[in-house]
Order: sequence, then structure tokens, then C-alpha cells
Amino acid sequence: MNARLRQIGTWIDRRLGVRDLLAHTVLHPIPRELESPMGWWYVFGSASLTFLLLQILSGVGLALVYVPSADQAYESLLYLDYEHPLGWFLRALHYYAGSGMVVMVLVHMTQVFLQGGHKYPRELTWCVGVVLLLCVLGMFFSGQILRWDPDAYWGLAVAGSMAGRVPIIGPDVVHVLLGAETIGAAALSRFFALHVFVIPGALLFFLAIHLWLVLRCGVSAPPVPGQIVDRATYDRDYAESLKRGVPFFGDAFWRDALVSALAVIVVVVIAAVLGPKGPTDPPDPTLGGANPRPEWPFLWLFALLSLSPREAETFIILVFPLLVIGVMFAVPFISNRGERAPSRRPVAVLSVILIYTTLGVLTYLGFTAPWSPRMEAWTADPVPVEIVKRSTVPQLVGGSVFQYKNCRNCHALDGVGGRRGPDLTSVGTRLTRDQLIMQVSNGTPGGGLMPAYGKQISPAELSMLVDFLVSLRPEGQPAAGWATPGPSLGAQQAAEPTYAKQLPPPDAS
Amino acid sequence: MTSARLLESWRVAGLLFLLTTGGCLDQMPGKPNPASRPKLPSEQTDFQVLFARSCSGCHGADGKLGPAPPLNDPLFLAIVPDEVLLDVITRGRRGTPMPAFDRRLSGTLTAEQIQILAEGLKTHFKPTLAGGDAPPYTGELSTQPSAEQIARGEKLFASACAACHGDSGQGSGDEDTAPGRVNDPALLSLFSNQALRRIIITGRPDLGMPNFAETDGRDSDFKPLTSEEIDDLVALLAHWRGRPQQVASNMGPGE
Repeated sequence: MNARLRQIGTWIDRRLGVRDLLAHTVLHPIPRELESPMGWWYVFGSASLTFLLLQILSGVGLALVYVPSADQAYESLLYLDYEHPLGWFLRALHYYAGSGMVVMVLVHMTQVFLQGGHKYPRELTWCVGVVLLLCVLGMFFSGQILRWDPDAYWGLAVAGSMAGRVPIIGPDVVHVLLGAETIGAAALSRFFALHVFVIPGALLFFLAIHLWLVLRCGVSAPPVPGQIVDRATYDRDYAESLKRGVPFFGDAFWRDALVSALAVIVVVVIAAVLGPKGPTDPPDPTLGGANPRPEWPFLWLFALLSLSPREAETFIILVFPLLVIGVMFAVPFISNRGERAPSRRPVAVLSVILIYTTLGVLTYLGFTAPWSPRMEAWTADPVPVEIVKRSTVPQLVGGSVFQYKNCRNCHALDGVGGRRGPDLTSVGTRLTRDQLIMQVSNGTPGGGLMPAYGKQISPAELSMLVDFLVSLRPEGQPAAGWATPGPSLGAQQAAEPTYAKQLPPPDAS
Repeated sequence: MTSARLLESWRVAGLLFLLTTGGCLDQMPGKPNPASRPKLPSEQTDFQVLFARSCSGCHGADGKLGPAPPLNDPLFLAIVPDEVLLDVITRGRRGTPMPAFDRRLSGTLTAEQIQILAEGLKTHFKPTLAGGDAPPYTGELSTQPSAEQIARGEKLFASACAACHGDSGQGSGDEDTAPGRVNDPALLSLFSNQALRRIIITGRPDLGMPNFAETDGRDSDFKPLTSEEIDDLVALLAHWRGRPQQVASNMGPGE
């Protein structure tokens, strides 16, 4: 049997002639230093590649069932989740392996940058790597659209509006992306084509170039402090070191295989435990509760946009991403030679720390999105029982007014509720009765975040509401008062301003 | 270890992995629960979900201990007519913080969902008449109470309510434990006469306010309030309000 197979193999290879090429590839020499524990740093690229294979396989599986049409896409995902055997697992695996791919690509890039792998002669390898990162992010974005739930198409609406801001060609860009001026069936078809043909095609093409470059320029040896990259001598020294090199198919291969296998196991476990992501509510543009927000690799940009002043919007949408991508392409040309060891490159190390801290904080903010109101909080988030238990009758009615007038949608109590405005659990210690009346009636001075409710609330409701708000303070804490100027500053009971006296005091006897 | 042996052990490990995961994947926690299959909000027919989304904000997570009167109150559920529940959820109570929930009145619920809520209140929170008998939910709320009726109301207030609410409804001294004032025109303008009657009949068991019959905090010779006596008390409160009938503030949505 074996002999027969070998015979067939030989017959094919005499015509195809790939055996030598494969042998050359698998056995190509790499620096001997990679046999040291430093070699463990070189496993992330192949882990990314493993995830890509997993994505292709699971993606093909999903494409067998998924219907890329606006009226059936959502239903076909529900069919996968709830009816098709293990369909849910395939969806979960595709999502988490895709997430893992982004993580691995970022870790791989960070490792290469920290250890100076991008320097001469591997600048092009780095640049193609940046293109691959963009492809992976493009896959993530287009994949999210295919879920076709309200989050997906409203997210696309945001992206469309962003693209529409491009000067002169903006409307055309939107038309090409969406297939129309607004989101509809054509948009889904286009993003399906992007997700399964265009971007994967580009990804595989650039991946081939990337791998070719790795083979051709060689794997960089682990950095040694004091060993300088110098264009005049590097090639000769590297060729010299490869003469003492070891074949890739050896320790290096098994390390890659081990880490890839572990990464796959981790992703499988996560997928099995957490299950598929979405789809959320059925696609119905009249639903008000949609919560459009991008997938996690883009949350930092979402947060940056949400937190920036209005004037900076266009800059952040149009110029900033180009700037970031431009800087990434420029990295190997800015620092092209010199030291490679991170211990001798404090600027590089600090940049990495700064970038990841910023990304981490922004991603966290984007995840919690404290600037978004919770539109259902007024009927769905109960007033904390402890507050209800200590309330007087007017305060109870004020609590109902607080919910009924939608205050809760922006203001949390005990951390539950909207977080666009401040949590009001202890507002009674911060604002006096009069300040609260002013704040509710007039809103934030100068047209700030809080709207004026003066015309939306009756005097009776306002009176009860403020009774409730004044009572919101931890046990034993005095209500906010007015500091009296002069020697009596230390007095516990501060004087009230004169206009307050015209209003009924909170607990008039 | 030679490559061949290593390859062999990998193969065994992979096979084991596939067998174990493939076999028990269907029992993993990630498998979506059919009950949580997404629905249009208008297709939601589960009482508990509807209650949590639409009622718990004011009436409390379990239908009690919210700022608004409890719905999870056996006595209330025993006396309230079905059509009243349906009507109040549909139209709300004008001038009070109870909004209209019907979609046609810019609410969020369909007529069918309101039906489910109104019926579900009585099946999920069991109605019981502890003492066997209670005053009817609706009373004779005269449009123009006489001075006599108000005087009767004052006398009843002194024996049934004053211990906690103060002699003339001004609230009692200790702010931490007292239920506060109830003679405030602003406060009373946010209560309909019907809502006042309901609170007097049912009390607020979740917050310690006794119902029409309970003796907690009342004189030892206290007799359960009759339907007419409750009317007198409501007349007194309406007198304090300054208007015999509550007037809608015409400030709320759905009006």
C-alpha cells in the first residue's frame, strides 16, 4: 500500500516538481540562537496563521447555511444557533477564533517591534504585515455586518456616515459601500462579497508575500544588546550565522505547533462556554432600543469619537486613521538600524506601553459607554429597596416622578441606570433643595448635557421630585447646605439664600 | 524524543480531544437556550419579562418595595376588578406618575401584552382576602364633600392615621421613621381619589402601613374601617388637597 502511494507520489512530483521546494521550505535554516528559550518569542505569527486556517474552515461551514439576503440572513443565524446540530458552536468558534486572530496578530507585531525584527532588511515584511493587520480588521468589521441585527445595520449606518464625510468623493464612497444611498439589501450583499471573496483574497495574497519574505529575508536572530544592525555588514553576518543554523523543521516547528494547538484549545473552550455572539433583536428599523456599537477591536475608536469635542470629529474620522496607518508603515524606515534589544530602546518600549495603555483605557470606556442613556431604565430598573424603605410619602411619590420623567435613563441609583449624568445616590449631600430645583428646571447652565425640564414637569411633581432627591444621601450624612461667609463658617446649619425662604421647606410642619 | 514518536503522541492527544469535546459540546453552557431566542419586543408574551421591563422600575422588582403602590399585594389583587387593571395599564392614571402603556397612546405595549400583564398580576401574585371581607375597590366619592363629611373624616384620621401621619397629616417629628406629611396640596394633587381609597384599604404591607383592618399602631378599640368611613377619609384628604377631585397636570406623555 505504502509503496503504491509512494509510486503515485513520485509520478506526480516528476511532473509537478514541488518536492524540492517543500523540502527547501520546511528545512530552511534559521539562526541557532532560536534553539534557546528565546525561541518561544517566535511562535505568534504561526498561531495567527493557525487561526486563519480555523477561520477558513469554520467560515466555509457557516457559508453552507448562511443566506446573505436581507430578509433571511437573520433567520439563518437563528437556525444555526437553535436548530442546526452544533451550528451554535461553529458560530461561536468563528467569532472567538477571529478575535484570537486579532489578538495574535497584535502580539506578533508587538514582539517583532520590541525585538527590532522590523529593521533592515525586513522593512517590507513589516509593511506587508501592516496590510495583513488591516485585512484582519476588515474581516472583523464586515463579519459583524453579516449578523444583520439592529446593532449591525445601525453600526453600518455610522460607518456610512463616516465615509460620507470624505471630501468630494464621499457620496460615491458611500454608494460603493452600501450599493445605495441608504442601508438595505444591497449593503448586505456587498459586505458578504467583501467578507468571503474580496478581503480573504487580499489576505491570502499578502500572506503569501509575507511568508515569501520571511523565507527570503530569513528569521531574525534574537536581539543581543550591543549587537548593532548595520546595513554594510548585516547581510554578510546573517549569512554567516545561518551556516551554523538549524532547520526550521525541528524545535522551532514543534514550538509553533504546541502554541498553536494550545491557542486552538483555548478558543474552543471559550467558544463552548460563552457561546455564539448575537444576533440580538430581530432586524426592524422601527425598534428604538438598538445599541449600535462596533466590535471590540474598534471600541477604542468609538470611545475616542464619543469623548472628543464636536470640532475634532471630522479629524478623528478622516485624518486620524490615515495618520495611524501611515505611522505604522513608516516604523521600519524611522528606526532602520542600530540596537535591536528592547533594553537599549527605551523609546520603543515606552511607546508600546503608552499605546497599549491608551488602547486599553479607551476600549474599556467604549465597552461600558457611560455616555449612552439606558432608554428602558425608567420602567425596568427598580428604585433600590433601601431608598424606598427610608422614604417618606412625598419622597415615595418623588421617586415615582423620578422614574416616570425618565431621569433614571441618564442617572443611576446605586450604580444601576443610565450613566450619562452623575449617579444620584448621594446627591442630597452635594446640592441643596434650591440648587436641585434650578438644575431640574433649567438644565445644565449654558446648554450643557442636561436638558431643562421646567416645561415638562408640573410644580407639584417638581416639589416631590426634589423632596426625593434631597433625601438621597447615606445614613447620618447631613443635607447639603450653604456656607455662611465670615466668622460663622464653621456653623453646622448654614444660612439659606433669601429666595429659598419663599418656597415651602421640605418637611414643613 | 524523535519526531515520529512526537507526532504519534500529538495524534493521540488530538484524537482524545476531538472525542471528548465532540461528545459533550451539546451540554456546554455556551449552547443557546431556546427560551432566550430573540423576539421583537411586541412579540414578548412572557409575563415575568413584561413585568420586569415595564413595571419593576416604579412598582419594585417583585411587585413590592418600589416607590409606587405595590402590585404584589394579595388584598389589592383580591378587590381590584379585572377591567380596572386593564384600563389603568392601557390609559395610565392621568395626572399621576402612572403612564399609559398602550402603543396607541405612545406607550410601549400591545393590547395583547397589556392583557397578559393584567391577567398575570392575579395569577403570579396570588390574591387573598385574609379576613374574608374587605370594602369594595370603588367607593362613593362625592364631588362636593360636605363640612360634615370632612369633620367625620378628621375624627377617623385621628384614630386611624394620626399615630404615624400626625394630628393633621403634617407628619410626625422623627424624620427617620415617620412616613412624612400627607396634607401637602402638591403631594395630594398627584393622587387620584381612587388611588387614595386604594391605599387606605390595602395599606402598604411592604413598608409597614397597616390596611383598613389591621391594628398595628392604632388604638386598641380600633374597628376595621367601613366603605363609608373610607369615603370620609378620602373626602378629608381631598379637602386638604384644596380640590375635591384631582385635576390632571396635563404634563405627562400619552395625554
